[in-house]
Amino acid sequence: MPLNRDVLWYKDAIIYQVHVRTFRDSNGDGIGDFPGLSEKLDYLQELGVSAIWLMPFFPSPLRDDGYDISDYNAVHSSYGTLEDFRRLLGSAHDRGIRIVIELVANHTSDQHPWFQESRSSQANPRRDWYVWSDTDIRYKGARIIFLDTEKSNWAWDPISKSFYWHRFFSHQPDLNYDNPAVREQMWKVMQFWLEMGVDGFRLDAVPYLVEREDTNCENLPETHDVLKELRRKLEENYPGRMLLAEANQWPADLRPYFGEGDEFHMAFHFPLMPRMFMGLKLEDRKPITEILQQTPEIPSSCQWSLFLRNHDELTLEMVTDIERDYMYDSYAVSKMMRLNLGIRRRLAPLLDNDRRRIELMNGMLMSLPGTPIIYYGDEIGMGDNINLGDRNGVRTPMQWNGETNGGFSTAPADHLYAPLIQDPVYGYQAVNVLRQKASEHSLFNWMQRIIAVRRSTGAFGRGSIEFLYPANHRILAYVRRLANETILVVNNLSSTAQAVELDLSRYKATIPIEMFGRNMFPRVGDLPYLLTLGPYQFYWFRLRRI
Amino acid sequence: MAEESFLTDDFLRQLINVGEVDILVGLPTHNNAKTVGSIVHTIQTGILRGFPRERAVIINADGGSRDGTPELVTGASIDDVRPASNLYALRTLHSISTRYASSPASGGAFRTILAAAELLRAKACVVLSPEAANIEPEWLATFLRPIYRDDFDLVTPTYRRHKFDGLLITNLLYPMTRALYGIRIRESYSPEFGFSGRLATQFLAQNAWTDGTDGAGIELRFTLAAITGKFRICQSFLGEKIHIERRSADLVPALRQTVGALFSALEADFPVWSVVAGSEPAPVTGTDQGVLLGPLRVNRKRLREMFSAGVAELESVFQLILSPATLAELQQIARLEEEEFRYPAELWVRTVYEFAASYQKSVISRDHIVQALAPLFRGRVLTFLMEHRNASAEQVENSIEGLCLEFERLKPYLLQLWKLRE
Repeated sequence: MPLNRDVLWYKDAIIYQVHVRTFRDSNGDGIGDFPGLSEKLDYLQELGVSAIWLMPFFPSPLRDDGYDISDYNAVHSSYGTLEDFRRLLGSAHDRGIRIVIELVANHTSDQHPWFQESRSSQANPRRDWYVWSDTDIRYKGARIIFLDTEKSNWAWDPISKSFYWHRFFSHQPDLNYDNPAVREQMWKVMQFWLEMGVDGFRLDAVPYLVEREDTNCENLPETHDVLKELRRKLEENYPGRMLLAEANQWPADLRPYFGEGDEFHMAFHFPLMPRMFMGLKLEDRKPITEILQQTPEIPSSCQWSLFLRNHDELTLEMVTDIERDYMYDSYAVSKMMRLNLGIRRRLAPLLDNDRRRIELMNGMLMSLPGTPIIYYGDEIGMGDNINLGDRNGVRTPMQWNGETNGGFSTAPADHLYAPLIQDPVYGYQAVNVLRQKASEHSLFNWMQRIIAVRRSTGAFGRGSIEFLYPANHRILAYVRRLANETILVVNNLSSTAQAVELDLSRYKATIPIEMFGRNMFPRVGDLPYLLTLGPYQFYWFRLRRI
Repeated sequence: MAEESFLTDDFLRQLINVGEVDILVGLPTHNNAKTVGSIVHTIQTGILRGFPRERAVIINADGGSRDGTPELVTGASIDDVRPASNLYALRTLHSISTRYASSPASGGAFRTILAAAELLRAKACVVLSPEAANIEPEWLATFLRPIYRDDFDLVTPTYRRHKFDGLLITNLLYPMTRALYGIRIRESYSPEFGFSGRLATQFLAQNAWTDGTDGAGIELRFTLAAITGKFRICQSFLGEKIHIERRSADLVPALRQTVGALFSALEADFPVWSVVAGSEPAPVTGTDQGVLLGPLRVNRKRLREMFSAGVAELESVFQLILSPATLAELQQIARLEEEEFRYPAELWVRTVYEFAASYQKSVISRDHIVQALAPLFRGRVLTFLMEHRNASAEQVENSIEGLCLEFERLKPYLLQLWKLRE
């Protein structure tokens, strides 16, 4: 299946997020690798994904799961070789699957040769590649992001006897984007991978590229200038490739990252995600509709990127204090489940392994405006291990079958990069791909179906949205429209059966056709359209004028 | 034939949209447009402060307002279409309204609120008055926390009152309910109180809603039902008692709603109160109620004249209600000059008990019996005012306590009268 040549491909995509280390170990060393991932491309194709987002696979001391890069133009030896990566890229493209990789542009590892040179002496030509200071009192307006581990955004370097700036861990010094040489170098990094054929970059931590005094050092105009410059070069030289912004910000602050369609193609909608969980727990659509009401229009070529869970904690930075407390009490009763300002748990455990809620959340993920991203393992309802430190509890090996090491690796169990989930509910013997593929009603097969239905129309990826606001606040209902296609989505956020009357007067005389079973429902007439929904049930209807 | 539903289809539809709730606030109204907006805002603030995570609804039972009161209430909903400008709500906070009748009746309003509580499976409910001038957001927690958190079923208020305010309560309702039912509830008849969903369901099912009383004294009947049903009761301090206007400025309607309701309940409740001896205090949360001592102008002459005229004019009625000894003592008092006037506690208690027994016997129309109590109550009020003209707060409280003990001491007399009836 060749790649679709549409330059807006990302608007219709189903993206699968995976770390190569976690997916499949082909050489028995206990660590997933590119050949292993290539082996499993058929699985991903079968699931229906159209793009893979690969987390950092570059050489790294791995003190932050690869987000501490020590060489941008190579592959970490544990994961294979550049040639292995090239093969993966080709195989994926052959299956119509695109590859999006990480560009951790804000910072490097302190082991990166650039930083080693920079710290070596104040006269070194690369001294200005990082942000140095004689004091640790500059940029006081910048918040500390990793509150649990860092006390300051400045770290003392005993070698050059000065402070260096870091927004994340102290072993991740920030690059100095005021330096044109840094900007040029980062473009060269991008070119390296683009020439190889990668289809896009997920740019990590973009709000923090530039620092200015008397600001919070986030979302600065100078940062946008840097990003626009990269986008311009990308557009001129590699049209059809995509930039995805990781900027954990409020919608209004996110909007500038799209520019006038000349900055990012996509950006994660961070504030929506916790509010989906909140709406589900509250059994009230208000948090979801409110954040979407606050979400500004974006240029037509741009797209929101939606997700339920990812490799990080369920971030609660973009919620109020009341909402955060509620989320903690609802989803992270044990303090061990909390990290920084978030909750380090996977989707299934967050939802008490309740199949109805898992389906409803995925239903919303697939039908709200944006491109859905599925975190590896969530398609089979994998669990987490909160006994592992940091965010490693949600980064355990993929569970392929019930055999040794869950089919992930042939290495001895104590050689695996991380232990498999072994508990009775989520352990690999109970939750694995092989078992689920064999069961018609498994979560995997259900995910496969919903992805297929989602891909059967462009309305979900590109259509407009109109909320219906029925008087029953437990019902989240909206209409997605694209050209002549109209889709009605009705979600019951409640744990109990609900009746709802929908004002479908604009769609009078249409026949609702349920998209999964393709059954007709009564024609829309003059009266409010009455629907009853079971607990956590949702409907997708095509409204057909026949 | 079963009674048709008293809830309209439109109200049912609104209830369906609200769904199950944790907190229900009932607001009976009738032409309260001037105040209801700010009261609803205060209620919302109280809910969002005290119960930000709970599912809550404001139910307005309107008695045929013509000033747009219901629209003001429903327009105050907080949801994704109508965000509150100065309140933050985690979830939707519905305000819904229904017209239960074309004219106000506390029974109809309360029945509607109870029905909503049952249908919405509310855990904790509160009824608030649209006439409460000093309502505070904290009132919500005051009424609801004991129910929601501590598993109480009824929360009655206590107020800081003027020493001469609420004399019907201090001289009759409180001491008599205390003596008969054995629990010390200071305000058993109040426009504001909290209750559990359990109590709402039981009262809704058991109360005779079609007894022709139009729900008079429903609040008192509710309190008595909680006592006889052995529900857990406590009292919470609300602050000073201030209401915009008196619903019953006239004494006779007030007596009908309170004393009439109490006398009426005694027959059914006889198995309960007849075996009670002494009384236990109901737990109180919040500061002690205290008493205000400011000066108050009272027309004592008029009170005495009304008492004396009543005793004379209603002699034939009293002959049917009262014992000869009691009537004779009253006639003697009626002849006293104003400065010598005194209607002693012991005689007052005997009078009230004889009225209660006669009410049960229906010696004459029950409504006439209640009306006939009015001049005698005025006499008792005059005595109370005169005795406590310069009394301290403690002295007033001691006096009320003394009256209560007198009601308890003479309870066997009431039982004796009751047995004579049998």
